[in-house]
Amino acid sequence: MALAYPLTMPALARTPIRGNMPLRRPSYSARRLRESVTLGSLGNDTGNSGESTLRALLERCAQGDRQAFRTLYDMQAPRMHGLAMRITRDTALAADATHDAFIQVWRQSVRFDPERGAAGAWLTSIVRYRALDIARRRIREKPGYEPPEQEDESPDALSQMISSTEGAALHRCLDQLEPDRRKLILRAYADGLSHSELSESMGTPLGTIKSWIRRALIALKECLSP
Amino acid sequence: MSGVAEEDDLRAAEYVLGTLDESERATVARRAETDDVLNSAIAAWEIRLSPLAVLVSPVTPPPELWRRIEQSLGAPVVAEARRPARRSFWESLGFWRGVSGAGFALAAALAVLVLLRPVPPTGPSANLPSASAVLAASPGGPPAYLAEADTNGRLTLHPLTHVAVASDRDLELWALPVGGTKPQSLGVLRAAGGVATLPQANQAGMQLMVSLEPRGGSPTGAPTGPVLFAGRLARL
Repeated sequence: MALAYPLTMPALARTPIRGNMPLRRPSYSARRLRESVTLGSLGNDTGNSGESTLRALLERCAQGDRQAFRTLYDMQAPRMHGLAMRITRDTALAADATHDAFIQVWRQSVRFDPERGAAGAWLTSIVRYRALDIARRRIREKPGYEPPEQEDESPDALSQMISSTEGAALHRCLDQLEPDRRKLILRAYADGLSHSELSESMGTPLGTIKSWIRRALIALKECLSP
Repeated sequence: MSGVAEEDDLRAAEYVLGTLDESERATVARRAETDDVLNSAIAAWEIRLSPLAVLVSPVTPPPELWRRIEQSLGAPVVAEARRPARRSFWESLGFWRGVSGAGFALAAALAVLVLLRPVPPTGPSANLPSASAVLAASPGGPPAYLAEADTNGRLTLHPLTHVAVASDRDLELWALPVGGTKPQSLGVLRAAGGVATLPQANQAGMQLMVSLEPRGGSPTGAPTGPVLFAGRLARL
């Protein structure tokens, strides 16, 4: 497997929010996601929906097609902004994260390999990492910042996962985890909480949180491997 | 899987999941730039965990966000031309040879013009210029700026024509020393020209260019818009 994808840039985390967008070296390449989707996921414009459309749009962006970029924005901005909002919990910071992510998408679209790429996952990662960097910096700059209130995922949200092949597999594997561990993984991913924030908000010792997460991740990987 | 490889794989998983703190994130990201195994592990975890993104409800971004993104990227025509334009313009040796040849001739021809302009108000200690460059839109094209550098690395830029830019754009001056690959910003240009300090005293052959940027200058530290004018410093 030839994957190359360094994801966020340490330099970025140190620059002002509207600052640098250093080029990432890598081309993103990954297992191709299934193109066909069910009506359910199309309706929600999820990460995997319209994978072939996303790939085509990114390809056109790489050629400097601003109209394609606008279409990509219209298709993906609500989804990506939702991820940024959930992680930053702040309208202005989320807007910064989404802004930075789209700038990065435009500039790095040339590095995206449409033959092999999982475009939805690529976009998801770009905005999540940017939002995480911004959220972490806020923690350093505002030490008294309170982590967001705990929020359980609704069964409805979880059931949306099964609309794609990959989602269905992950859903099945998550189901095999103990409920506490599953909740930990879901909260970590959706809310972008650090180990220590999870420890505080769940009232569980830090070491326990870390080892629960690791064991859950190992179990997921094992369950997902063919 | 060996212990070390497993540790890296778990680190990659935590990075993608998002549970690392700021310095841990930075460490993983930095390592991934050179460590292909770690890099691959991160990419694989992204694919594994990306279906979780559907758990988060979409939120319509503020209506002004698209405009802000457009502003950061510069005018559409800029973006469409950006890659080929930058490559062909900067990297063509023939172009630079042409410009620097033209620079000699034009600098001589323009000497009178320059003498007629008032010296920028930068103090009385300005030395005689030791190198100069003519910045033009294309080899042999009409000159837009005359740049003069003295032995202290002080660069004075004289506008030779009026360059109009949209109110949300600025012109930015860049220097690329001989053998350099990354232009360094000398600052945003004012209509009246101005004085800047060159990144190094050895000026001969240094390339100067003026690019069109969002208001306030490039947001990235590198030219993001097209290079409108360019020239190479030649010793006088």
